[in-house]
Amino acid sequence: MSDRRRINGPVGATIPPASEDGASREVAGSRGGRSRPPNAIRKMYLKTGVTPSASGSAYLEIETSGRSGVSGLKLSCTVHGPRSLPRSSPFSPHIILSTHVKYAPFATRQRRGYLRDPSERDLGTHLEAALRGAIIADRWPKSGVDIIVSIIEGDQDRETSKTQGDESWDLMNALSGCITVASAALADAGIDCIDTVAGGVAALVSDKGDGNPSIVIDPIPSEHDRILAACCIAYLPTRDEVTNLWFKGDLPASDAELYTKLVEKGIQASAKANRVLVECLGETVG
Amino acid sequence: MASTQHVLLSPAELAYLHAALSLTPPIRPDGRAPAQFRPLIAETGILPGTNGSARICFADGTEAIVGVKAEVERTRLADGATAGTEWEEGGSARGEGEDDDGGDKAGDSDWVGLTVEIPGYRDDDAGTAFLGAMLSEALLADGAFARRLWINRRFHWKLYLDILLISPPLSYPLPLLSLTTHLALLATRLPLLKSEGDEDPFFDDDWAAARHLYPRGSGSSRTTKESARPPVTLLVMAVGNNIIFDPAKEELAVADVALAVSVAEDTAVATSTAATMDLDDAAVPAARSLRLLSIRTIDPPSRLTPPGVPNAANSAYGATTAQNQPEARTAEAEAVEGVWRAPRGGAKPLVMAALVQKVLEKGGVADEVLDALDAVDLG
Amino acid sequence: MATSSGTTSIATPGQLLGPASKFQPGPGTHIHNSNLYSSLLGVVHASQPAKPPGPSKRLTKITVPTQTPAELPTLSVSRTGVSEKREVLPEVGNTVLCRVTRITPRQAVVAILICGDTVLEAEWQGLIRVQDVRATEKDKVKIYESFRPGDIVRAEVISLGDQANFYLSTARNELGVILATSEAGNNMYPVNWKEYMDPETGLSELRKVAKPY
Repeated sequence: MSDRRRINGPVGATIPPASEDGASREVAGSRGGRSRPPNAIRKMYLKTGVTPSASGSAYLEIETSGRSGVSGLKLSCTVHGPRSLPRSSPFSPHIILSTHVKYAPFATRQRRGYLRDPSERDLGTHLEAALRGAIIADRWPKSGVDIIVSIIEGDQDRETSKTQGDESWDLMNALSGCITVASAALADAGIDCIDTVAGGVAALVSDKGDGNPSIVIDPIPSEHDRILAACCIAYLPTRDEVTNLWFKGDLPASDAELYTKLVEKGIQASAKANRVLVECLGETVG
Repeated sequence: MASTQHVLLSPAELAYLHAALSLTPPIRPDGRAPAQFRPLIAETGILPGTNGSARICFADGTEAIVGVKAEVERTRLADGATAGTEWEEGGSARGEGEDDDGGDKAGDSDWVGLTVEIPGYRDDDAGTAFLGAMLSEALLADGAFARRLWINRRFHWKLYLDILLISPPLSYPLPLLSLTTHLALLATRLPLLKSEGDEDPFFDDDWAAARHLYPRGSGSSRTTKESARPPVTLLVMAVGNNIIFDPAKEELAVADVALAVSVAEDTAVATSTAATMDLDDAAVPAARSLRLLSIRTIDPPSRLTPPGVPNAANSAYGATTAQNQPEARTAEAEAVEGVWRAPRGGAKPLVMAALVQKVLEKGGVADEVLDALDAVDLG
Repeated sequence: MATSSGTTSIATPGQLLGPASKFQPGPGTHIHNSNLYSSLLGVVHASQPAKPPGPSKRLTKITVPTQTPAELPTLSVSRTGVSEKREVLPEVGNTVLCRVTRITPRQAVVAILICGDTVLEAEWQGLIRVQDVRATEKDKVKIYESFRPGDIVRAEVISLGDQANFYLSTARNELGVILATSEAGNNMYPVNWKEYMDPETGLSELRKVAKPY
């Protein structure tokens, strides 16, 4: 469904022509590789209080993998509230969270519309589950808070447009970023939380070089030949609790170890992101 | 959203339910065993206008219908390739990229359109989108499903799955919808292809000759590389140390954590044991092993339940806190035994692992459910 | 980390503040596993109990000993100094300043502007029912003789209320209208407990007047 109130781009979107110089062709052939150690996350930049008009806000940027044509993840989150609920809503003894995740139309390879599509709504539900576990909801009866995450730049490699299935794995990286940035914005807004929650992604990947699949954290789909399974975890470090777990892939059930390891690595990734988050929050005060 | 709809239970009722479900063994309000499903009525092939359909009615009155429709669609060519002669190049390029056993029979997740309709909820409700995403994610997880829809390099089947809940959502409808979808896909048949190669496809008119999307029964079909059954998604929750399957709405209202786990039969094992299975056909289900396809945390509605007031803080019992302490409402207190408090925080990773383990273990619930669904007559 | 009283430091949500047996939880903290954790990003304050426990004044009255021993210092995390934006929710017992937006024979609808000493960012709606206007002769109260739209009222929160409104009361001498505008549009001054007077026209209007401090 297209939005009639705005001037939309052409329906049949095309991919911008990528100039095919020899070098990039070669890189595309080998598709680069992971330059980081398997248990290192990418560098990230987090800052709170970027939107003065909102009650709380945060901006998160995750570095690119250092190759041309690959964009990093850029997220901005605003928190509005706590404020009174609309008159039509029933009494609530808790704060009502409403989460919106929206890709900017230009954030991904394929242009997105202004209306949220199902995958964005799905991300919003995941984000809500992750945050709901972290906030102390009964501190704010009868109030609502809106958490709006805009994905300004999605984490997508323009050169790997031919490969399939990348998009679905990108969602996990986006979600983990959303969780981290929303958590920072919530803290900035002064909404009671039991802990700082951060997102982390781990994936089981198989690379061309060696046949054995290995587990890496914070995967970039374009850096790996194939992703067999991935999980995104929202983790509360001081309580050692998981508020949201999203696993996707194809794992034999007989090998429970593999699944457990994957989750462990996801927690590890989340804990690393959390250190950045806590440090950033400390800086804003000091 | 469907899972977080308001439960009309008082704090006292919630505390009682939570206590009953935390016992060993847990006492469920409807007297079921922890791993027991609600009884259900299932039938397939109810809609003659579809390629496959199913209806499941749970004992609590929730009912779902799934209809599967297939249409022939021209395959979108690989990026950069235009119409005409270049499609061949594009097709082969993708074939090389997809280096696994499927050869150039690559499928695309766009080939499956899945919509969920829950009465009383908008189409674009986040909860409905969540359900739809969860069901299609499990279906497409192994990449083998879309490959079944491949006709030739230029054409493919586009499969529309329309999942309708026709009763009000009395309980979280995920298990119901998943089981119904499973049956409908099992019953789905596609017309027999008569054309060859990459020519425009034409099909056998005889519906009796149509082949199943998921070939069943005979030993030969089990040797195919693709998984023989669609996935099922199970809802499992934990209260205290207990793991409870197929929770009713009231049970979900006191859950500490709830997970939706999607599993499918493992096919690789089926292939390797095919030789032995030829010897004794009877032992087919014995060698079943499962694959884990997806896990999602369901936001349990317990976090939105009203808290109880302990007698010590209740002015009806002589407490005089409200006047003297302006911060009385936000003041923290230790949990009082028997007084309900909405759970805070998440679940320990170990608890989550135990939930998943319980689903996947040999002879566990997933096995049982798949066996039970085997018994449904596909018409 | 503030383990001794007097020190102030920064806490992030989830930071351990101390054992619950040694401190009393204040605003911005929560208890988990018998430990006190911060739940806000802010400055930690440890305050000694205001009143040292002494002999109670009325020995004739038998009182239940209070639940928490009063000698424990209270730990709280506050947002002051971190951010000037501090949203608070009106709580039972708080004194609020509000503006009357609408009156009906049974109630006056107000918008709460200031709660305690904090200017609210969001708009919260309150309700002063006819029986909560004053403490005596409640049956003779008429809303239109107590409030008019536009008046600024000092009131006390008596209940969290229903889904939309906080319930407020002006049933004390120091509560009631503190700023009123006459029908002619002039600011008025209070003349007695139930009248405001317009200095220009000399006409008086009926209000539930707050006792000036």
